[in-house]
Amino acid sequence: MPDIPYKDKGSILGPLKTLGFFARRPVTEPFEPRPAADSYRGFHVNDWEKCIGCSTCQKVCDNAAITMVKIPGLPEDPVLGVRNERPAIDYGRCCWCGLCVDICPTGSISLTTEYVHVCRENELDSYFVLPDPNGIHGKHFDKGWDKTADADLVDLHQQPMGEVEPQQRDDNFDEIVHGFTSQQAIIEASRCVQCGMCHESCPTHMNAPEYIRAIWEGNAEEAVRQIYRSNPFSHVCGRVCTRRCETACSIGRRGDPVAIRWLKRYAMDAVSDERIREIAAEGKVDYISGKKIAIIGAGPAGLTAAYDLVKKGHDVTVFEALDKPGGMTRYGIPEYRLPYDRLDADVEVITSLGVTIQYNTRIGRDIGMDVLERDYDAVVVAIGLQQGRSTRIPGSDHKQVRKAVKLLRKITQGKPFKVPRTAVVIGGGNVAMDIARSLARLQKQQYGEVRMTVAALEDFDHFLADPEEVTEAREEGVVILDSRGPKQCLVDENGKLIGLATLGVVSIFDQDGRFAPRYDDSDEQVHQADMVIESIGQMTDVSLFGDELTERLEWNRGRLRVDENGRTSEPWLWSAGDMVFGPDVVHAVADGHRVAAGIEEYLGVKQ
Amino acid sequence: MRPENYQAKNHPPSHEFELNFGPNHPGIEGNYAFKVKLNGDTVLSARADGGYLHRGFEKLMEGRLWIQNIALVPRICVPDPVPMEVCYSLAIEELGGLEVPERAQWIRVMQLEMSRLAAHLFAFGGHAATTGMYTTMFWGVADRDLILDRFEELTGGRVYSIYNIPGGVRREVPDGFLERMSSLLDYLESRLPDYDNLFFRNQVFIKRARDVGAMTQEQALKWGVTGPNLRATGLAFDVRRDDPYLVYDQLDFEIPTEPGGDALSRNLVRRSELKQSIRILRQVIERLPSIRGPIRCPIPNPLAWNVPAGESYTRVESSKGELAYYVVSTGGDKPYRVHVRGPSSMHAVQVLENLAVGSRLEDVAQIMFSLDACPPEVDR
Amino acid sequence: MSKELNIWLDNLLSDIESVQFQRRNSRRVRVDVGSEALPALLELLQGRASYVHLSAITCVDWIEDGQFELVYHVWSYETRSLVSVHTRIPRDPGVYLSIYDLYQPAAFFERDIHEMYGLYFEGSPDMEKFILTEWNGPPPMRKDFDGEAFVNEHFHWEQYHPQWLKDLEEEGGGITVRPEDVR
Repeated sequence: MPDIPYKDKGSILGPLKTLGFFARRPVTEPFEPRPAADSYRGFHVNDWEKCIGCSTCQKVCDNAAITMVKIPGLPEDPVLGVRNERPAIDYGRCCWCGLCVDICPTGSISLTTEYVHVCRENELDSYFVLPDPNGIHGKHFDKGWDKTADADLVDLHQQPMGEVEPQQRDDNFDEIVHGFTSQQAIIEASRCVQCGMCHESCPTHMNAPEYIRAIWEGNAEEAVRQIYRSNPFSHVCGRVCTRRCETACSIGRRGDPVAIRWLKRYAMDAVSDERIREIAAEGKVDYISGKKIAIIGAGPAGLTAAYDLVKKGHDVTVFEALDKPGGMTRYGIPEYRLPYDRLDADVEVITSLGVTIQYNTRIGRDIGMDVLERDYDAVVVAIGLQQGRSTRIPGSDHKQVRKAVKLLRKITQGKPFKVPRTAVVIGGGNVAMDIARSLARLQKQQYGEVRMTVAALEDFDHFLADPEEVTEAREEGVVILDSRGPKQCLVDENGKLIGLATLGVVSIFDQDGRFAPRYDDSDEQVHQADMVIESIGQMTDVSLFGDELTERLEWNRGRLRVDENGRTSEPWLWSAGDMVFGPDVVHAVADGHRVAAGIEEYLGVKQ
Repeated sequence: MRPENYQAKNHPPSHEFELNFGPNHPGIEGNYAFKVKLNGDTVLSARADGGYLHRGFEKLMEGRLWIQNIALVPRICVPDPVPMEVCYSLAIEELGGLEVPERAQWIRVMQLEMSRLAAHLFAFGGHAATTGMYTTMFWGVADRDLILDRFEELTGGRVYSIYNIPGGVRREVPDGFLERMSSLLDYLESRLPDYDNLFFRNQVFIKRARDVGAMTQEQALKWGVTGPNLRATGLAFDVRRDDPYLVYDQLDFEIPTEPGGDALSRNLVRRSELKQSIRILRQVIERLPSIRGPIRCPIPNPLAWNVPAGESYTRVESSKGELAYYVVSTGGDKPYRVHVRGPSSMHAVQVLENLAVGSRLEDVAQIMFSLDACPPEVDR
Repeated sequence: MSKELNIWLDNLLSDIESVQFQRRNSRRVRVDVGSEALPALLELLQGRASYVHLSAITCVDWIEDGQFELVYHVWSYETRSLVSVHTRIPRDPGVYLSIYDLYQPAAFFERDIHEMYGLYFEGSPDMEKFILTEWNGPPPMRKDFDGEAFVNEHFHWEQYHPQWLKDLEEEGGGITVRPEDVR
């Protein structure tokens, strides 16, 4: 039954009842703009400390209202993923929808409760604003539409990477990670906002936004093509790279970074080796330049340079002292992190383009540098850091005190040695973890139990090894002790090594930042051991140059001096990789590219 | 029409007189031109001419990502923007297989009913203005302003709330909002007797509006009339009950109808709907605190979100009638086609032309407002 | 009654040969029919199955297939279900029959599709322009009409020169990425 029936005639006196309004208080509105609601979408404010200039707000703005402006004086750090750009907004186009706030990876931009702006027509420039923490008029209004946890449009969680359980993996060298399924890869790739911070922070400037996009589109071949633009060692880097890209990832500011390394691994595994070879060969010139180049060391630096140079038509020969290629990636990284067949696949791509590798050829012993200087147009030395440093503590000259790099090489080569029942590793870097976990596996295989201790100088807050390595090592039974400095290797009266004495660390660096560890003599522990492994750093064996060349070259505190192209003081000799920069795979790849570009320019000039 | 495109025509002398009603006219809801041919005060024929509010939304939406369109969509219907947002979100949820959490569905119902209240206050306020009763218009707009205050508190925007997103809503209900909403509903209910005295039971208005713009049920069905206009001819059809969406099937409300089919009936239907909306809102306010959960379901990164291919036709009852969205996706990150079927597409063009014929000039504006014909919806 | 009518409808539609139909849920049915059979099917739906309300006519431009797809959405108050009838016509002559004699609301939609897509409906009472009365270009909703390119050609992006930007440019900063470059 309706309140007012249709047939109602209405009342003529009804309106008179509104005369009662004379008795009511009038509504008064103040002149000043009243304060807006708590989540009002007013003018923008941008916290310049949090903002990293990733320009994701620009991409999501549906009215194309945001312009990126460079502001000199703001911090700019490609390694950490910070740009000195900030968004400027055209208020003639902005509709204050707040999508920029919801998608901002760092949560720096937000909308306040300010909503009044007045200007004359000749002051239209005031519509183009650069939001800073003070607001566009400098009056501090409350935050209105701010980022909240349930309204975040970026996905802060990484797809979990499946791993083999500790019980199944601690006695074999099978690869631990399963890799992404294609669905996981697409979901993970969709988290990327294409800001490009990873590209800038990668030492070899990989086109990560492009290959992530290709993976998201389901086009793994295009991803491989984008990967090969900058890194021919991607099966390797997809497993063991130090991931500066993920450190710089803008999503990683508040959440998990995009798993760029695992995505690279996924793309490389998704395409067949044969097809990868075809894709890598694209762009190879179809003529022979007639120039010959020798590369010493078939590691990432040397082979990357070889890849670049052979694609430009040069004749490249690589001399490798050991019997298999890869350098540290094979002989330093254990198989459970990087299976050898994947490394072989990467190397085969390079040899399939026409690079010759001569194995078991040690320069300096089998062939002299003078021969190379005479027979080749350019020579690259990329022999890496094959030797381990020694702590030189008392007892470290005992034959059961080994160097980690040598022992890792032996394990890779399959050469037999007596696996210690109990062992201690000195050192806390990734190499220490590698040797500890490899020996742990051998111990489990031979003796059925793991008795492995790692004694590192650093404390856990400043540990050098990757957190995942530490966690996985602990799961496999390795005991890790922090802040312990080596004092002495203990030898019993029969000359047998029985253990390592360590002291508590008080400090590692002095006030000037120099390495000068101080120990607490009252805090001494003895760790039983049949073998002590020193894993405190690497150095290179430069005896291959010979006395005469060594005299001619310029050195810089024991390391070869190179210019910005990687060329030494000799015009025909370049040097690249670990031996120049220190141990890092992707830096070696970048170095290989750099050296190849330098050689290419030099050969083009010298006719 | 631009002045340079105007061509004067020479008509033979007759008793007919062509008057251009609009596009800038207080008797037109929005910007819309209506050319009437008059003989004295009687309308002989009428021709609608829209396009003054054409912003090209359907083409614009094809060039923007799925999420960017939520800022465009409320602008299609200015007085009643929420059903547009909800309909677009429903269409994408159907295409993408997204499950909207229950709390978000209840919040959406609350918004929709708030928007319906605001739109009806606007509509009969406008109708009153066309009959010269400006006090009711001011009351209507002022009371609508209080509802817009609630929108501002809930969504961050007064008119264009841009609050619904495919998957749910964007922000949680603020603390104390439900109490303030409840007191607002009490206030609006207390105002209804005032409105009745001044407007709905006003003899002047009833005399003005009765038998103006009358249509029978057959005519209404033939012309494709929907919404309160159809219910004013006696047919109880409401998308909320017959094609239910969100949680309307759990709510208790009536579908008011009136038998007359003229401007007076349409107003009375809107007035009855006000009461029904208040009733629904009270039920929602009561149920909402006990429904916990997330306010939206997770969606992928909007810059890299491919909605599966397919098409979907979703319908929603806006305050003006049946609103429908037809969205076609080809599996990309942008829509392939979005077609907006506004209820005023029928009301503002054919129905208005047909009803205006034979009426008096002073009633033309009244007919348009009583039909609640909204030009932004026609022009998109 | 509505369930039986739905079943009757499903049976009927599956019997007719040139019709493919797919029932999505109890209230949505999709029917694909050849363009010559569409008016007859609509007449059947209207007359026999009580689908008296034409909700909308949509046109979708499938430019790679060289076809326009016309979708007629009809609603029945009795069975409370919606049937969307899809048909495709070749893009090239772009002519089709009007169904104004069956459903009067079609006049508006056909007029709208005519001016937006250039599709002509024979028999429609009014094919004059409604919205785009002063537009002389190609039908704008077609996929080969690039709206953004048209805008960029005929209008200019506002150039602002506020003081803060001039200060920054003096220091060596300035605009790096414009929004129009990343669209």
